[in-house]
Amino acid sequence: MNARYDIAIIGSGPAGLSAAINGKIRNKNIIVFGQKHLSNKIVKAPMVYNYLGLPELKGEELKNQFQRHIDAMGIEVRNERINCVYAMGDYFAVMAGSVLYEATSVILASGMEFAAPFPGENEFLGRGVGYCATCDAPLYKGRTVTIIGYNEEAVEDANYVSELAGKTYFVPMLDKELHLNPGVEIVKSKPLEIKGTDFVEKLVLKDRELATDAVFVMKDSVPPSQLVPGILMEDGHIQVNRRMETNLKGLYAAGDCTGKPYQYMKAAGEGQIAALQAVSYLNAVK
Amino acid sequence: MKEVTDALFQKEVLESEVPVMVDFWAPWCGPCRMVSPVMEELDQLYNGKIKFVKLNVDDNPTTSMQYGIVSIPTLLLFKDGKAAQKLVGFRPKGEFESLLNQYI
Repeated sequence: MNARYDIAIIGSGPAGLSAAINGKIRNKNIIVFGQKHLSNKIVKAPMVYNYLGLPELKGEELKNQFQRHIDAMGIEVRNERINCVYAMGDYFAVMAGSVLYEATSVILASGMEFAAPFPGENEFLGRGVGYCATCDAPLYKGRTVTIIGYNEEAVEDANYVSELAGKTYFVPMLDKELHLNPGVEIVKSKPLEIKGTDFVEKLVLKDRELATDAVFVMKDSVPPSQLVPGILMEDGHIQVNRRMETNLKGLYAAGDCTGKPYQYMKAAGEGQIAALQAVSYLNAVK
Repeated sequence: MKEVTDALFQKEVLESEVPVMVDFWAPWCGPCRMVSPVMEELDQLYNGKIKFVKLNVDDNPTTSMQYGIVSIPTLLLFKDGKAAQKLVGFRPKGEFESLLNQYI
């Protein structure tokens, strides 16, 4: 078990890094989860004109400036994907694969790079739709299970499921060679909608329909409502107030995931507010 | 927290005089492992006003099927022998409390 961090920051774009810098300056024990290139969005930006004090930088150069800044402050970005954040009451459990981190507060700065749910996905959640195939597979012994797979883990899960389910379909959303058990039927088509009455009955694809009892959607980047069970959303963004507080005590959000404008400086400003609020929260609870 | 089985379900849950929160779980399920400590805390908090038990879905398929459990963790709150509330998946502790407060 790791020590409990003061602030776990999820995301390494301008919001996450600004939060990290401010948390570090206030001498808090922080951990930052993100990616090697810090932000896909920035790296891809041809030119940024409106970042105060750093005019006309290529996205790549702005990223390098961010990197220099965090390096100088001894902030490390961990290249780990967070699957879930659990609000345990007086702390948060942050899952990176099978590794568990604990933090007293969390700042969510995960951007807007996530796929929208399929029609019917939210409606049938817990009634045939699931995100943890290995959890629920034993409940579908001898029945039909469909996995919509975006990553390698989905392939492994499909193999595991096929040992229990009566019939397993795998709808690949990744362009790779698939090492699936012979029992798994690969269906190359585009998922459109999940349908049923009380429980899931079928998955509608572009050119066919699959009669199925379960649909597991295994994505890389999940919407905040799935990342943090219980978080409140508003018009596709995380609901926050002026203090960047979400509906969950100790959990803050900053950057694009809280709403428009999707601008770097707005994100950095929100990251700062979130960090300072988290610091106040930490001082109040400790 | 007490572990119940298909055989004990009638007596421990359906015939209970206080409301019972049943945690349908299995050992291999990650989110279930996160729900457990929250339930333990709530068990202490409600101190007998609400009973908390867990049921391993793999060992007890009859009860799991009967209540249409297709995703775990699922939490069912029983009052007077009937399932009154159903929550699927992990929820923040506060959300469990708001729900349970309606039953004490």
